Amino acid sequence: MMVRADKTTVDTNTGAEDVGLQYRTNGLLSQLALEVRLAVSTRSKRRAGDLLFKALTATLALVAVLPFFLLLAEVVAVGSAELVGSGIAFLLTNPGPGLHGGIANAIMGTLLLVAVAGGVGIPISIFAAVYITEYTRPGLLRSAVEFAADVLAGIPSIVFGAFGFTFLVGFLGLGMGLVAGGLTLAFMIVPTVLRTTQEALKQVPVSLREASLALGATRWRTTWSVTIRAALPGIVTGVLLAIGRVMGETAPLIFTAGNNLQAPTSVLGPGSWVASMPYTIWAYISDPREYLQVKAHATAVVLIAMVLAVDIAANVLSRRLTRRLV
Amino acid sequence: MAYEHKIEVEDLRTWFGDRQILKGISCYFEDNSVTAVMGPSGCGKSTFLRTINRLNDMVPGFRATGSVRFEGNDVLAPDADVYELRRRIGMVFQRPNPFPMSIRDNITYGPKLHGVRDEGELERIVEDSLRKAALWDEVKDTLDSPAPHLSGGQQQRLCIARALSVDPPVLLMDEPVSALDPISASKIEDLIVQLKKDYTIILVTHNVQQAFRVSDQAAFLYMGELVEFDKTRRIAEAPEDPRTEAFITGRIG
Repeated sequence: MMVRADKTTVDTNTGAEDVGLQYRTNGLLSQLALEVRLAVSTRSKRRAGDLLFKALTATLALVAVLPFFLLLAEVVAVGSAELVGSGIAFLLTNPGPGLHGGIANAIMGTLLLVAVAGGVGIPISIFAAVYITEYTRPGLLRSAVEFAADVLAGIPSIVFGAFGFTFLVGFLGLGMGLVAGGLTLAFMIVPTVLRTTQEALKQVPVSLREASLALGATRWRTTWSVTIRAALPGIVTGVLLAIGRVMGETAPLIFTAGNNLQAPTSVLGPGSWVASMPYTIWAYISDPREYLQVKAHATAVVLIAMVLAVDIAANVLSRRLTRRLV
Repeated sequence: MAYEHKIEVEDLRTWFGDRQILKGISCYFEDNSVTAVMGPSGCGKSTFLRTINRLNDMVPGFRATGSVRFEGNDVLAPDADVYELRRRIGMVFQRPNPFPMSIRDNITYGPKLHGVRDEGELERIVEDSLRKAALWDEVKDTLDSPAPHLSGGQQQRLCIARALSVDPPVLLMDEPVSALDPISASKIEDLIVQLKKDYTIILVTHNVQQAFRVSDQAAFLYMGELVEFDKTRRIAEAPEDPRTEAFITGRIG
């Protein structure tokens, strides 16, 4: 309030002085009237401009976040009928005849796929990041890996799907199923986790590594016990965000994972075909039967909740680790 | 091998790439006493210190000629056991750099590296090292809390305790108080004087007053050369070289 009042006074004064100089010859009264008029108009013009800009940005901010709320509202509005109607059974039963029943196959499938993707992709990316950051000097090799990872992170997921189909399913002869689908998702995890791990390792002060070396530790021991430990909050965040992202990917799975109305029964072969939540949403929503539309939305609610849970876990865990370590 | 002093340096020259840092240094370090290596920033004193425990090996383009003998063996020899060397020559850094783990784990890290597994033995090392670093009374009830939560001065004493945990006869200290407040700094200076009873200490500092307060011998390094090396008192009272005099009177540095 104070500030605004001050500003107004200043504005008026400047205006008055300018005008005053120009119109010195005029009568005192008319000069004063002019001054007041001009001052008021400048002031209100400026204020209006300010207000307009504020309104504009506020509107755009609303437009920016609106889709999220609309989406949530739509998904919940349509899907809640199923969630309320079937309750927990929706999560715990497999689809029956006519695809009535729950989505246990999809939940189980997504968890399995993410487990394979994470189990393969996370160690590869972390070790690659450790090698690049700790054992190579800045130079061509490091730049090449960083560039490749950045490009890889930007490649549309359908391309990963096509690659998984050609390379894993076809060339390597893995066939569709849990392994091919999980590995395709692993390819998608690698660039994100590699880069976030690398950034986290770079943040660890050189003097921490030196302290360990100066005690007679080998380099790998230093990396393992000190550097990675210090970088852990950043690494964990990167891993969980990458997992949260691939949990919702459909495109890479269409040609690689197949589909299944129950949990997979084998690791390779037709028995390893596996459903996933995004695939199920896509399949159900493309179906003309109305109750499947509802189920698709209900599945979406569950998926959003799961991704949200992973994001929150990333936040909480990283904050807790930071507090404990640093 | 027979030797007179634990650490003897002969005609040490070092380079980072094409840039020569040390230009032929020869000196020795008296056992169980504090030798200050002083000089203005960039004179090569840190490089000198980090050559003794081969920590410069990590720096791309580093090269050294001449010899640094520790207990008669050449530290710079390609077949020198650098891990054992670093166990026997401890180091304290300019900024406190505790590991991101508990106070206890900071101390047991070194002994565990070198094969100490016995819990009782580790327990003894923790108390012993912390006592020697004058930190035991302050942390004995919070050994399992994170080390980075300690104050700066406490962290630096923890780092000293960590260096002592592997029982090194020699302690290298690279401006150990320059990042601390005056009270913490003077505590650590007192500690250094205490520790020389049992350790051979090499203290790098750009602070002349500190060198005079705590050291028995002093070496003055200037632009990579060892300008003067003698008893601290002699250098303080009657510097022989005009550059030394300029440094201790504050005209260079």
